[in-house]
Amino acid sequence: MVVPELADVYFEYYVAGVVIMMLYSTSVFIGYDIFEEAEHGVFEYLLSLPVSRRELVLGRSIGGGIRSFIFIGPIVAITLFVIGLATGMSITIAVGLKSGDRFDILMGVLNAFIIRLSTTMYPQVFVQDASQLYAALTTINPVTFASDLFRWGVGIEKYLTIAPMPLAPILGLTAFFFAFTFVGVTVYEKRLEGGGWQ
Amino acid sequence: MSDSIISTMDLTKRFEDLVAVDHLNLNIEDGEIFGLLGPNGAGKTTTVLMLTTVIKPTEGNAVVGGFDVKRQPDDVRRLIGICFQEPKILWVSNSWDVLNWHAKVCGLSTQERKTRVKDVLESLNMWSHRQKKVHGLSGGMRKRIEIAKVLIQRPKIAFIDEPTAQIDVIGKHKIWNMIRELRDAGSTIILATNELYEADILSDRVAIMHKGRLMVCDTPKTLKDSIPGGDSVEIQLEKEVTKNVLEKLKAFHEVVDVVNIDPNRLRAYLNNVEEVVPDIMKLFLRSRMPVKSIHVSEPSLDDVFVHYTGLTIEAAEQEGPARRHK
Repeated sequence: MVVPELADVYFEYYVAGVVIMMLYSTSVFIGYDIFEEAEHGVFEYLLSLPVSRRELVLGRSIGGGIRSFIFIGPIVAITLFVIGLATGMSITIAVGLKSGDRFDILMGVLNAFIIRLSTTMYPQVFVQDASQLYAALTTINPVTFASDLFRWGVGIEKYLTIAPMPLAPILGLTAFFFAFTFVGVTVYEKRLEGGGWQ
Repeated sequence: MSDSIISTMDLTKRFEDLVAVDHLNLNIEDGEIFGLLGPNGAGKTTTVLMLTTVIKPTEGNAVVGGFDVKRQPDDVRRLIGICFQEPKILWVSNSWDVLNWHAKVCGLSTQERKTRVKDVLESLNMWSHRQKKVHGLSGGMRKRIEIAKVLIQRPKIAFIDEPTAQIDVIGKHKIWNMIRELRDAGSTIILATNELYEADILSDRVAIMHKGRLMVCDTPKTLKDSIPGGDSVEIQLEKEVTKNVLEKLKAFHEVVDVVNIDPNRLRAYLNNVEEVVPDIMKLFLRSRMPVKSIHVSEPSLDDVFVHYTGLTIEAAEQEGPARRHK
């Protein structure tokens, strides 16, 4: 199906999607950092420092966020929200698994779902054509919130999924940020306090 | 024990069928250097990791500085500092940054940090290497950076695992002195090592571990004295030793055995050698048997290890840690 009006703006739409994907991917790297730290033994050092596990997770999340922000550049304020969400999720998964290979596979599968069931690369009208269920899922996907907010911010307002703007995506991202950070801290504490990673 | 800064109560750690630490009961006193001695796989490092809240005990518990390692790990971590067996450093950083960051996390003020990092780096002959990336340093240099963390931090309780592994002789002496200074400044030091000499000269008390179990714990001197006939004295005489003198020598309460190495030379195995030697000398003088030379030797902690485990430290290392029967 060709949508002529969309063809005009698809390049901009696509570029915005790529930026969001880059942002998402760099945020997810924190999980790989955790495996690298475990491999080099730095993990044990971090766990022995006079800081609580909670501070450690928040520090990692914020650190990962700042790094992503530097990589991608000062795009928009939503960056920090996306980062908080993705690093929290990545930390949760990384400490939940004991094998770097399993982490790779699981993150690959998750990324495929998260990106495809969002409006990062395709407007919702296309997703709707494929399946009503998929279209419904895009409306509760944090990457859709980030994409919409970013496009709204840079003025690509055609084919936004979420309304009202910008309140709905900001609220959505905030909810995901806190939820994943909380889950990340909880899982991190439970799995790592006392060498659960070994 | 009222002065105990660390107490373990049946502290146990299992990794599947491997029993790394088996019902360990220890009391470590405030202000002492406490040596945890044993071959690789004895459970020393696992004990240190449990006491520092890095890993959780499978069974039992420990109190460190008045805090429960299971229920108050944050409070425990505020009191401790660790020098790990293998350097745990952020590899992309240089020595100065690694130590400065560590000191910062441990709460030292900017001025204090700068002074202490500089002093310790200079003392360890690492000042000229401060800007080099850690991954470019030799193993010995990395180990120096690792121990520098504790020396800069000056924690109330310092855990030092194999402090001089990969370090040259001069460096070893320097580090041993710095560990003593740390103790004199008020820190309690738990020194995990498989170097018997190091444990002997540094520790106020030593605990010998084997297959995760505590074999014995006391001062190095008491441990050495606890070996019956552990001391020995070798006497070279100017003339052949008579049967009568030999009998009199064997009659000493402290003498366990006497061996004739050759007609003019004998070796006696005994206890409390420093107290008996004058009496032995008197015996030979009264018997008109001039002594040409005398060589006294006391047992080392190697002998103590053999006595309590029935194995040399090398043989114990080959046996490896204890496994549970399934």
